[in-house]
Amino acid sequence: MDVSQYLDIFIDETNGHIQELSDNIMLLEKEPENKDCVNEIFRAAHSLKGMAGTMGFKKMQHLTHDMENVFSEVRNDNIKVNSTLIDILFQCLDAIEAYLETVKATSGEGDEANEHLIKMLNDFLEGGDGSADAAPAESAASEETAEAEASGEGFEYENLKLDEDELEKIKKTESSGAKMYGFTVHIQKDCMLKAARAFLVYKAVEDFGDILIYNPSSEDIEDEKFDLTFNMIVVTESELQPMLDAISAVSEIEKVDAGEVTSATYTKPAEEKKEEETAPAPAEKSAEEKKETPAPAKAPAAKGGKNAPANKPVTARTVRVDIEKLDALMNQVSELIIAKNSLVSISDQDTSSDENQQTFHEQIEYLERITTTLHESVMKVRMVPIENTVAKFPRMIRDLSRKLNKPMELYMTGEDTELDRTVVDQIGDPLQHLLRNSADHGIEDPETRRAAGKPETGSITLNAFQEGNNVIIEVKDDGAGLDIEKIRAKAVERGLVTEEQAENLSKKEVIDFLFNPGFSMAKKVTDISGRGVGLDVVKSNIESLGGDVEVKSVFGQGTTFVVRLPLTLAIIQALMVEVRDEKYAIALGSIQNIENIPVSEIKYVQAEEVIHLRGMVIPLIRLDELLDSTPKEEEPESLTVVVVRKGDSYAGVVVDNLIGQQEIVIKSLGKCIDNNKIINGATILGDGEVALIIDVNAIF
Amino acid sequence: MTDEYGLEVVEKEKVQYIVVSIGNEQYGLDISYVDNIVRMCKITRVPKAPFHYIGIINLRGEVVPLMSLRRKMKLDDDEFTDLSRIIILKTEEMGLIGVVVDEVKEVIALSEDEIDENAKTQSPEKDNFISGIGKNEGELISILEISSIFDEVDNA
Repeated sequence: MDVSQYLDIFIDETNGHIQELSDNIMLLEKEPENKDCVNEIFRAAHSLKGMAGTMGFKKMQHLTHDMENVFSEVRNDNIKVNSTLIDILFQCLDAIEAYLETVKATSGEGDEANEHLIKMLNDFLEGGDGSADAAPAESAASEETAEAEASGEGFEYENLKLDEDELEKIKKTESSGAKMYGFTVHIQKDCMLKAARAFLVYKAVEDFGDILIYNPSSEDIEDEKFDLTFNMIVVTESELQPMLDAISAVSEIEKVDAGEVTSATYTKPAEEKKEEETAPAPAEKSAEEKKETPAPAKAPAAKGGKNAPANKPVTARTVRVDIEKLDALMNQVSELIIAKNSLVSISDQDTSSDENQQTFHEQIEYLERITTTLHESVMKVRMVPIENTVAKFPRMIRDLSRKLNKPMELYMTGEDTELDRTVVDQIGDPLQHLLRNSADHGIEDPETRRAAGKPETGSITLNAFQEGNNVIIEVKDDGAGLDIEKIRAKAVERGLVTEEQAENLSKKEVIDFLFNPGFSMAKKVTDISGRGVGLDVVKSNIESLGGDVEVKSVFGQGTTFVVRLPLTLAIIQALMVEVRDEKYAIALGSIQNIENIPVSEIKYVQAEEVIHLRGMVIPLIRLDELLDSTPKEEEPESLTVVVVRKGDSYAGVVVDNLIGQQEIVIKSLGKCIDNNKIINGATILGDGEVALIIDVNAIF
Repeated sequence: MTDEYGLEVVEKEKVQYIVVSIGNEQYGLDISYVDNIVRMCKITRVPKAPFHYIGIINLRGEVVPLMSLRRKMKLDDDEFTDLSRIIILKTEEMGLIGVVVDEVKEVIALSEDEIDENAKTQSPEKDNFISGIGKNEGELISILEISSIFDEVDNA
């Protein structure tokens, strides 16, 4: 039977069931006796099994069937729920999710049988209490790391396959007498921004010497086309230890293998290397034995990951729309037609009479009202609740809590807050990062908390709500808070500011250092207040969505990250300006203020025009020159300068005229004129004219 | 295939072209690429855009880039008259693109043997855009190769 047409529905519904299962299992952990909850789980698992079976995904069906067996025993009070069972169930859920990912990417379920999970489930059924299952559970978790180690027999960096150019480089460096070290860096399994971590490692290493060889290549690293390890060969004068310290200081790095290398390391005969690989050292044997499903466990996973970008994903990007929203839309469209018809009938009559003029204007107003509401309704159709994105967070915090041995609880409000689909899709990672940050660095360990008179269980809150044209998402913890003085000292130490400057910085300015790229880099991992972890990445992610992020913190009482996002990406508030007879839009968000500057006040610094404004030296940018407009005949006596801001830098954009503020709809310029950096889109004005939108970020 | 269907097969082989004039020459555009023909409207210049793009226009709420075939083929710059039209072409890869022509004449159907694919002009720049020369009632019509017009290789 051809079931491919149901694939979309299957994926959609499976996602729903997985989420339902996850929520209910979480609940079950808290209330093991909750019968309703068990019933819910049973139902969800049953439908999951049924659907997988219909679609012909046998392995998935098998796994869910065994899960269902366990639930049925739980329902019949034959086995008790304990944390081991919960752990196994979560692992099963992860496995089902992995199946679903494979299905999305390839339309098939892949080869992963997940036998160890099925075995664990069955063992649990037989053993009843599951104490004997603790070990296999452990082994499954350590499986991946063990595997990584096993494959890197004799350290990965020593077994790099180098091409001739690279060998030549090494030989050359060797003959010049410099020392070379090979590094294999292992990134933590749950690291989310692998490329960013790798980049930080590179930056750390570059303080000591030059990186001769990247493996995988730096492009692959940038595109995150690598597993959990990457290698490099570095030429340096420095000793190994400080470099190792620097690399280990980058967070989420699991471990680093390193040693001196010579060209001889890589010119060894290939056979010799092979032998080494096939004969694992005895020390690794125990790890080898632990693996119940050795090779196949990882191979399909890796395959699935690599296949995904190549094969076009089978699912389309869809939005589920509440039928009520569609009904509203339909109503408005019918009103639109009525309004159009009445305009037509007016145009048929004699339009010169006053009475007709009057009705004509009334109808135009009516039309305006309809188009505005229509616009709002269409926007609403594009909006989805953030629920889908944030629903996975309680589970994540639970896992983190167990891993870090810090009891903590996640409270969420406003999950039904709606945002544009594109924003919701992309907000997940930054939020996850902020939550991890709070869990990892914000919440103190129970002893410290007790000593500080706080409840032992830390609490993290995720609040989402709408505020005007923005949606605010707050990530709040009641942890240690930011130590302003420590950050200030760090900034001085890193040479970002001088000591005197640092003294004068406001609290907010000091906190802003956290968003500096690599600010956390030099911090010791042990440093509890080291909260700069990857925040620069979070910030740039959120800024690319047109939002911003702000930090509030009271030392000793906790930290709040406030993420502000625009309701939609497609419509922005803009200032319309005129250059000669052409109209341009500048996003209001980036405009600081508008000044009238007499030409006589323009000063020159390094032959560039600048203005001195309230103690700031601001470079002037002549928009007409930038846009190749026809030159002006004579320079006016004063210039209209729009002061724009990008991060901490300012620029004064000289325009001919200001038209006013307007809400504009952003349209793409199309692919063929896309090579234009200064213009990031166009908009259609009320009179049908097209105006271009200036990308302020590109003119700095 | 039977005789009964013979007629139909011949019909199928004929391709319809919109004949336009640019300068004193006539060009044929495969009608399957043509989305729309509109009158001249206000063109917004796009700074730093490739030379042969005149700018962008508002096509019923869509922003559509506008290309000058004259500039692309290194002819004199456009002069817009009352007869000038914008032909909106639709392609899979590039979406909608408008091209300016001096005049839209008619729609003709040419079969393959009415198009001489080997005929070449002396100007190599123009040859890049022409897939052949069609003959219609004594007139010569250069058949424009739509895909090469959109080639991003900037000949300007």
